[in-house]
Amino acid sequence: MKEHVLARPRRRGGDRSFVVTAGVLVAIGSALILCLLAILVVQSFSSSGNYASLITPTVIRIVLNSVELAAIATVVAFFFALPIAWLVERTKVHGKAAIVSIMLVSMLVPGFAIAMGWLFLLHPQIGLINRLSAAAFGPAHPVLNVVTITGMGIIMGFQLAPVAFLMVSAALRSLDYRLEEAASTAGAPDIAAIRRIVLPLIRPALVSSAIYVFIIAFGTFDVPAIIGWGNRIFTFSTYVYLTTNPQAGLPDYGRAGALSVAVLGAALLLTVWSRYLSLDSKRFAVVSGKGYQTTQLALGRWAFAAYAFVTVYLVAGILLPLAVVLWESFLPFVQPLSAATLHVANLANYNAIFGDAFFSGLANSALLMAVVPPIVLVFSFAFSWIGFRTQLRGRALLDGIAFLPHAVPSVIMAVGVILLSLYGLNHLFQLYGTIWIIVLAYSVSWVSYGTRMTNSGLLQLSRELEESANVSGANTWATVRTIVLPLISRTLSLAWVYLVILAGRELTLAVLLTTPGNTTVPAFVWITWLNGSLTRGAAATVCYLICLSPLIVGYSFLLNRTRRSSTAVGSPV
Amino acid sequence: MISIADLKQVYRDGATTHAALRGVSVEVAAGEFLALLGPSGCGKTTLLRCIAGLTEPESGTIAIDGETVYSAAEHINVPARMRDIGMVFQSYAIWPHMTVAQNAAFPLRYRRPELGAGQVRERTAEVLRLVHLDALANRPAPALSGGQQQRLALARALISDPKVLLLDEPLSNLDARLREEMRFELRALTKRLGVTTILVTHEQAEALSLADVVAVMDDGRFMQISSPRDLYDRPRTEFVAGFVGRANLVPAEVIATAAGGSAQWVSVSTPYGVVECYTERPRAAGERATLAVQPEALAIVPAGGDLHGAVTGTVEGAAFIGDATELVVRVGDTVLVAKVATTDAPAAGAAVAVRIRAQTCTLLS
Repeated sequence: MKEHVLARPRRRGGDRSFVVTAGVLVAIGSALILCLLAILVVQSFSSSGNYASLITPTVIRIVLNSVELAAIATVVAFFFALPIAWLVERTKVHGKAAIVSIMLVSMLVPGFAIAMGWLFLLHPQIGLINRLSAAAFGPAHPVLNVVTITGMGIIMGFQLAPVAFLMVSAALRSLDYRLEEAASTAGAPDIAAIRRIVLPLIRPALVSSAIYVFIIAFGTFDVPAIIGWGNRIFTFSTYVYLTTNPQAGLPDYGRAGALSVAVLGAALLLTVWSRYLSLDSKRFAVVSGKGYQTTQLALGRWAFAAYAFVTVYLVAGILLPLAVVLWESFLPFVQPLSAATLHVANLANYNAIFGDAFFSGLANSALLMAVVPPIVLVFSFAFSWIGFRTQLRGRALLDGIAFLPHAVPSVIMAVGVILLSLYGLNHLFQLYGTIWIIVLAYSVSWVSYGTRMTNSGLLQLSRELEESANVSGANTWATVRTIVLPLISRTLSLAWVYLVILAGRELTLAVLLTTPGNTTVPAFVWITWLNGSLTRGAAATVCYLICLSPLIVGYSFLLNRTRRSSTAVGSPV
Repeated sequence: MISIADLKQVYRDGATTHAALRGVSVEVAAGEFLALLGPSGCGKTTLLRCIAGLTEPESGTIAIDGETVYSAAEHINVPARMRDIGMVFQSYAIWPHMTVAQNAAFPLRYRRPELGAGQVRERTAEVLRLVHLDALANRPAPALSGGQQQRLALARALISDPKVLLLDEPLSNLDARLREEMRFELRALTKRLGVTTILVTHEQAEALSLADVVAVMDDGRFMQISSPRDLYDRPRTEFVAGFVGRANLVPAEVIATAAGGSAQWVSVSTPYGVVECYTERPRAAGERATLAVQPEALAIVPAGGDLHGAVTGTVEGAAFIGDATELVVRVGDTVLVAKVATTDAPAAGAAVAVRIRAQTCTLLS
């Protein structure tokens, strides 16, 4: 009997080698994430004065500024996100695909482009609108001044509205409409059903998405850099940039590390709380993942109000600022639109930027867009596989580690990567100053997004589909190749395109890691802007937007199609 | 063909453990059709998955056709893909990104790599003909109805000509009528191919009509392994009597063993009269035991009939189920469930006389 067993050809390697490969990838990924956080903590204690030096009126004001900025941004984001999500998920309004596309496009357009547009419009002195008002009512009264915490918060809110929209609409979609119907049959009017049934049920999702939006707003660089920097209004992100890229003296990584660790602690607590909330919501079994045919409200004449609301968002969030950026890109310096300025409009800015720096930036950005998505997805798939397809002890912890970068504001992530390369990896190979340090930073940051997507992909997949392949004689590699990957290809391709766009538009991580050798286009725009050539920065932005637009449109199309044909969409946040 | 010895399996969820299999042993002969029957959570699916190699047991041995595929002592655990089996899953697990033919042909690629493209096509056509799906070979799999998906899953399980066919509740997702049709088809097909088959089900009608041998499971143990007929007529335990059919459990006392000393038939005294019944082991006079009385074993004595040996009661409820009617009859302070032809059924509230038919019941051990 035993000989018979041994006589058969055994090729078990196919199962074990897969698990080993996935395990090695997960070990590398986890080690990088943990080392990165560890080195931040260690470095923050490099000098006893690091933490003490933070207790200054300046730093405290900056942190309070950032909290205020993030709070305003969160409120504005939900002001737009809640009604629009409700419109798309729960009403019979026409043109839902268009509304979703508007939200997606405004999420994908680089934030620095929108920030530029609003600076050109509402700067107290050079802003187009304020100049017009000055011409009419005298220079003492700028109509609106965007160079304030409130102004920046509102603009950031416009940019974060789509993120909130995707999270809220996912929550609304997974809500069992029969719960509402039960309320209606119990005699509750519509408003009461929303207030007493819908809101309490999606509240955990609302709170956790608000926390998420708040953390992004706290750490985002684009808006405070473009609008606040030139006017010496600093927030957390720009202040960390200033400490690590001082205009005079040496970078103070210890101090940046201390500031980062303090903020990171708060962000982690918030994230743990929001994760706890979303686990709590699962206890109610509201998020069933099942596609419910929801009852939808006919808006009647109110449809026009709804369209007007979306149009306000479209114009203020995308069209107006981009139009202004386009206009200013033809001018030697910032000027309002008039017959007189029409004569000075020319292509000088474009001629000026079409040089080696721009093209090497383009090559770097293209490389990142090509290399980062597959790296992120391979690592994410390995994490998800270990988490959902093995019985490994501590696999929930591994998923938590992959989720950690989610809580780390981009500026902090960048500081961590710099420290890791300077004090750790650079002993092995030259990383700092090359494009690969940016590849590393992007990959580590976005593995939290990637694992959400691959997790939801694997969760959707019934185990029996794979088991029937095993019973059919296929080993794990073959099962993954022939069954798993084809079946989650839609989720994967959606994630892939989104990552390509992220890699293209990312400014925060890039500017902190940039050196002359590895400048990306967004970093090039920032440097041009920092050197005072505002309209030249606008021209570079326009060129880059033209390059990115096919991807943005393609992604919107892909996601819209997926939303229509299935409910199984992990929200791309 | 399949021999399982002292198989144990424990599920752990954090600190709590749940024994799914508490040491089960069974032999299945070549070509035999075994049904594992039991309520949900009894361990039947776990046992099937252990045989398939999808779940690893804690201890024991499993051999398929003389080859040990699992042995805790010898540290052998052959993965599912290297066991000579075909399996139909409860969800059918039809791959939605492939056509019908691609689904069916999949196992050949790995189990019969020596076959050329032509032979694969031939074999696929053959097996699809077997399950009457040959006309739909190039259709995308999601376009199939439930019954067709079930047949495709069967074709896929059979294509590599496995020694063992495993069926995990294959009929539970079909509507009642289709289920009955498929029952006949499945039985005929497995018998024609002579493949050794193990079926998991919680429906007694399915187990009794399909299998040669039925193993009733509860709480990780076999309660009884016997032919469908014996299982129904001669249950050994209260659990089996209650789960297979809906036997009335009646206290009884042996009053006389049958002549000839065979000990197979004894007379017992019950609250409902004296009746001759089957016993598996010899009984002494005066021994007390429980008598399993299937609802069909109760006869309603028609008005004016012979009341000898019958007791009187009242019909508390009558449930019309088509060809038959189930009656709940109260006799004194006990209740009996009887099943009679609808044409003979008395109305609810009627006073009736009930008698246990001779030689239809079994004394439980």
